[in-house]
Amino acid sequence: MNVVGIGLRNAWRNKVRAFLTMLGVAVAVVAFLFLRTILSSWTAGVESAARDRLATRHKVTFVLPLPLRYAEQIRRVPGVKAACWANWFGGKNPRDENKFFASIAVDSNTFFGVSDEVKVPPEERETWLHDRRGALVGDLLARQFHWKVGDKVTLSGTIYPGDWEFMIDGVYTATRRSVDRSTFFFHWDYLNESLGEGQKDRIGWVMTRIDDPSQAGNIARRIDALFADQDTQTLTMSERAMNNSFLGMFSAVLKAMDFVSIVILLIMALILGNTIAMGVRERAHEYGVLRAIGFLPRHLVLFIVGEAVLIGFLGATLGLAIAVPLINRAVGLYLEENMAGFFPYFRVAPGAALAAVALATVLAFAVAAIPAYQVSRLSTIDALRRIG
Amino acid sequence: MTGAQEPIIELRGVTKSYYRGGERLDVLVDLDLSAPEGSFEALMGPSGSGKSTLLNLIAGLDVPTSGTVRVAGSDLGTLSETARAEWRSSTIGFIFQTYNLMPVLTALENVELPLLLTSLRSAERKKRARTALRIVGLEDRADHRPRQLSGGQEQRVAIARAVVTDPKIIVADEPTGDLDRRSADEILDLLGRLNQEFKKTIFVVTHDPHVAERATIIRTLDKGTFK
Repeated sequence: MNVVGIGLRNAWRNKVRAFLTMLGVAVAVVAFLFLRTILSSWTAGVESAARDRLATRHKVTFVLPLPLRYAEQIRRVPGVKAACWANWFGGKNPRDENKFFASIAVDSNTFFGVSDEVKVPPEERETWLHDRRGALVGDLLARQFHWKVGDKVTLSGTIYPGDWEFMIDGVYTATRRSVDRSTFFFHWDYLNESLGEGQKDRIGWVMTRIDDPSQAGNIARRIDALFADQDTQTLTMSERAMNNSFLGMFSAVLKAMDFVSIVILLIMALILGNTIAMGVRERAHEYGVLRAIGFLPRHLVLFIVGEAVLIGFLGATLGLAIAVPLINRAVGLYLEENMAGFFPYFRVAPGAALAAVALATVLAFAVAAIPAYQVSRLSTIDALRRIG
Repeated sequence: MTGAQEPIIELRGVTKSYYRGGERLDVLVDLDLSAPEGSFEALMGPSGSGKSTLLNLIAGLDVPTSGTVRVAGSDLGTLSETARAEWRSSTIGFIFQTYNLMPVLTALENVELPLLLTSLRSAERKKRARTALRIVGLEDRADHRPRQLSGGQEQRVAIARAVVTDPKIIVADEPTGDLDRRSADEILDLLGRLNQEFKKTIFVVTHDPHVAERATIIRTLDKGTFK
């Protein structure tokens, strides 16, 4: 037995209260980790963006198109290895219009040179390259809509109205976890040919692969300088910045989630603080006895803080034990299969798990500090007069 | 100060005052007291007469407003709060009316509690705690929690806790106040034994004439002065 041991034993004095408090901490940690996982999953594309890729879009907004000839000019810029252009198609599956997925028209000749993390079996790749109406779909999207190679599918266009017929030529997987495995890629030529004269030869953005990631800034400036005197000016940025600018549309939601996750932890701290304060109030007389027999204020602080930290730590660990299987094996699998466009990789990040336990423990320490300080200031005689 | 008849507790001109609502309230007034080492003193008096205040001064829980309190060779008014706490842990054994054992600890651990403040190793602390429990006749209840003990047994554990550090003085505030007559007699027998066999100076605050009968010196306080 030692001073810290007594503090820890005090934690179990009122077992129901201790358990309910730990449960409160655990629920808060589960909620915290759930929100952090939503955030990390949503921003996974940003985090794992290739360092040697640049994206060029219209200087004003990526909604406005660029002339097709820009892609060829960009390809000739020193330092650029390959360039691929693409258009956001915005197609929907008419059989289930509520399920969102990305549909993008890409230049098939340069697509794999720039997006080398998209993996397709060689024979399916060959078939797609030679099939103008062919489409490559991510394995998660294929599973979601029960599509398989050889199926004819129709998408209804939202940006380009009408019914668009495609043949599923291949199902791709990804070598990087964060790559959206529920995207629908098809030939840009097919889209372009089908458009009226006024809409032809316009592209959404150009993705480029560069020789040296450390020169990304210089190359981006060179590309934008090419079009500085044109009517349509460009903005070139790293893939990470491009993804970030896309997420910028949801920034308010993301910030709100970030804020709420912190609020949840603060609520947890208040629950824990209330439990500790109640315990301290009930034991004031006992602290007086301990002071009388020679214990110093710092010993009482150790009792109180030790108890709070134990409850906070165990509650957080319990929360972790609930959250990891719940998120990784249940919710995560469901979201990855059904909402992969938003949550391509929905798993608890080790950093978030560690942060949850550490924050719960630190906050427990912080909230216990106030009652501990009050007890340490209490005179022995006043404490002895208190009735627990 | 040594020797059986030397005063182990000596108060000179002690006044203790409190201020309530800006008004001064003298609880003890110009008090002198001299208690020889090895004495068994009972302090009686009506409620509000200042008994507990005097006990708090002798035990080093409080300091006088004026005058000197010299106990076991230390002038308590000159010691800091921390120094008084350390002094109490080695010099004073406390016995309270309501036992005040920690419910989460066993009898043995409750007795061991004051020894945590010493540099003794765990095995030695446990050995001493067992010895103290043997003295109060509760060695076989060492692993029991307070709620598994009767009131009399709890008070005996509290006495074992009071003597485990081998203090010179034991102060008791209504030690039999919560006990039936039989248990109270057992406690008084035990205090008598500690006084006779172990030469502890015992200072008891009580309302109970039966307790006072066991004392060698009875003092009565009234309105802050000895009658």
